[in-house]
Amino acid sequence: MELFIRYIGENWADLLVLTYQHIVMVLLGLALALAAGVPLGIAASRHRTLGKVILTVANIIQVFPSLALLVLLMIVFGLGSTTVVIGLFLYSLLPVIRNTYVGLTQVSPTLLEAGRGVGMSPMQILINVQLPLALPFILTGIRVAAVIAIGVATIAPLVGGSGLGREIYAGINMDNPARLYAGAIPAALLALLADLALGRLHRTVKFGK
Amino acid sequence: MRHQVKYFMLALAAFAMAALLSGCSQGNTIRIGTQTFSEPKILAQMYRLLIEDRTDLKVEVMPDLATSSVVLDAIKNNDIQMGTLYTGIIFDNYFPFEMTKDRGQVLKQAQAGFDQYYGLKWYDPYGFENTYAFTVRKELAEQEHLQKISDVRPKAASMRLGVDTSWLEREGDGYPAFQKTYGITFGKTYPMEVALVYNAVASQKMDIVLAYSTDARLKEYGLVTLEDDQHFFPPYDASPVIGKQVLSEHPELNEIIGLLVGKIDAETMIALNYEVDVNKRNEKKVAEEYLRKIGLLK
Amino acid sequence: MSAWLANYAAFLSDRQADIWTALREHIVICLIAVLFGAVIAIPVGMLLAGNRKGWLNGLVFTIANILQTVPSLALLAILIPVLGIGRTPAIFALFLYSLMPIMRNTFAGFQAVDPNVIEAARGMGYSTAQRLLQIQLPLAFPYIMSGLRVTTVYIISWATLATLIGAGGLGQLIFSGMGVNKKELIVTGALLAVLLALLADFVLGLAEKWVTVRTKSAPAAGTETAG
Repeated sequence: MELFIRYIGENWADLLVLTYQHIVMVLLGLALALAAGVPLGIAASRHRTLGKVILTVANIIQVFPSLALLVLLMIVFGLGSTTVVIGLFLYSLLPVIRNTYVGLTQVSPTLLEAGRGVGMSPMQILINVQLPLALPFILTGIRVAAVIAIGVATIAPLVGGSGLGREIYAGINMDNPARLYAGAIPAALLALLADLALGRLHRTVKFGK
Repeated sequence: MRHQVKYFMLALAAFAMAALLSGCSQGNTIRIGTQTFSEPKILAQMYRLLIEDRTDLKVEVMPDLATSSVVLDAIKNNDIQMGTLYTGIIFDNYFPFEMTKDRGQVLKQAQAGFDQYYGLKWYDPYGFENTYAFTVRKELAEQEHLQKISDVRPKAASMRLGVDTSWLEREGDGYPAFQKTYGITFGKTYPMEVALVYNAVASQKMDIVLAYSTDARLKEYGLVTLEDDQHFFPPYDASPVIGKQVLSEHPELNEIIGLLVGKIDAETMIALNYEVDVNKRNEKKVAEEYLRKIGLLK
Repeated sequence: MSAWLANYAAFLSDRQADIWTALREHIVICLIAVLFGAVIAIPVGMLLAGNRKGWLNGLVFTIANILQTVPSLALLAILIPVLGIGRTPAIFALFLYSLMPIMRNTFAGFQAVDPNVIEAARGMGYSTAQRLLQIQLPLAFPYIMSGLRVTTVYIISWATLATLIGAGGLGQLIFSGMGVNKKELIVTGALLAVLLALLADFVLGLAEKWVTVRTKSAPAAGTETAG
């Protein structure tokens, strides 16, 4: 225990840097997943067959074991955080796509009718009616994706990525439990924090109407 | 509420942009890759400090790459630019080589071969060798009269061997070749992170392990290494290596790398390893302390 | 292309003993973890669904949620100094991870049973045990199946990391391959893990659909988890 405290005391600055790197990778992956996932979710909600295909593919990607996916990506893209971000992007897709899809399709047909009634174009209905109502769902998707991404990012160092996983691996590889906890505990806290914060945001959005 | 979320999304996007852009300035970053054990990590941190102190270059250390083989390939692909490698690696068929155990010959072949086939410069050694060492507890050695590897043969079939994650796969200096040379096959083999073998054998979870000779835990745990009586293992002198491409782009690195060549003997390396492996300190601090001590860093 | 395939085929036949061992180890680890997880999580889920103590439910689910949210590697790592290396610690860690999805889905399944049905059963003289096993359990089964499916896929995925603590499995092929840069080894380990996960997802998905049709309940929404 005191070894742990001593280690943190000596190395807290480095740990902060690693935490920052971890967060950056996750945010990049999430941002890309949002950029691609929301449009895909919208498309899926509008075309039944296309929707099935999109969801199935995203589902299959999700089932890929993280280590296997990252390693296969590494063979194609080489070592480094870029490869990790690509992996995080892929893993964040399904939660975003699916939740966007569910959020859009659960909008009451009455509201859609009403929108059409006042002369809104489909695009206007999408932006002014469906998306705002789907927002809580999309947020849930982001929340799930964030927790997953933070977890997957911990194995980033195996393919040359940065982040808190570096300390975890250093701890495992060098038989140094203090170091292991120095990486694992912040990673765990990060995930729990993200889950809580996004959960709160979700509630605010959902019930603030 | 929609506005809050909009701002959140915008902030996310802006952050992503910023991070992407900052990652794009990779032209001036030197990456040093290391294996999973402490030794190359300490050396990598030393070079990081020296390079950042004496040039405008930024250095990122990419630690815990699975093995020397990964480091090698990464340098070849320019995923990383520098590393620490051990001469015996030529025995794993990276290029055609002449089978010799002569120290000077092995070094020469490493330097010529990796230059030609991998485009990297293999410097002269730091000054120490880190070889594979079959290791047992002192009590077992005394009990079974184990001094040489050959002494193990009668008992081998009932022994549990702990090894690092790649030795079972290695070609010229790995388990299959070892079995041929010594005629020894162990009961069961357990690949694991090499850092775990020391405790594993000391606490009798393993009967015998293949350790690294410059690890400080050999002495710390009172372990005994067996003599390689059949001279199976080649020499493993440690040297810094760098991709020739980055060297031509930044010739000032040549002198900096030279600062540690021939300057670190086995005793020094073991002492440094001790700080990290036994005292459980971070290699960055250990490297920094050492460089200040010998006056290479102010 | 055909030369490459021939090469790969040769490699496969050469290493098939190791590949089979890794595959077998992997399956065993996952099976045990999920089985133990189910044995604990299903009864607990049932009990929680039935009881009125809100605080107990809250507590148990909070703990399970924390265990799920924490990155698997971090959890595995935290257990290493405590449990040591080897198959048992790996199985235990994976078991901990399997608790939440199974428990949550069991809970949801039992909660979803129409209270009228339970009342009717009580009125007809079913004992609590009979109600539980003959009425509620079959109706909750689709949810439980869904939880088992998600969990199994999840565990198969994270078991690839178990090799870090000497537990063997398909991760061993990946790491060994990375160790000596034999891409075929890496790819084989990775692809087998992927195929195993896809297979489990498919087969258990079929089982889930079959159970759902049989009991005519709505299938539960799967919880997304990373592979």
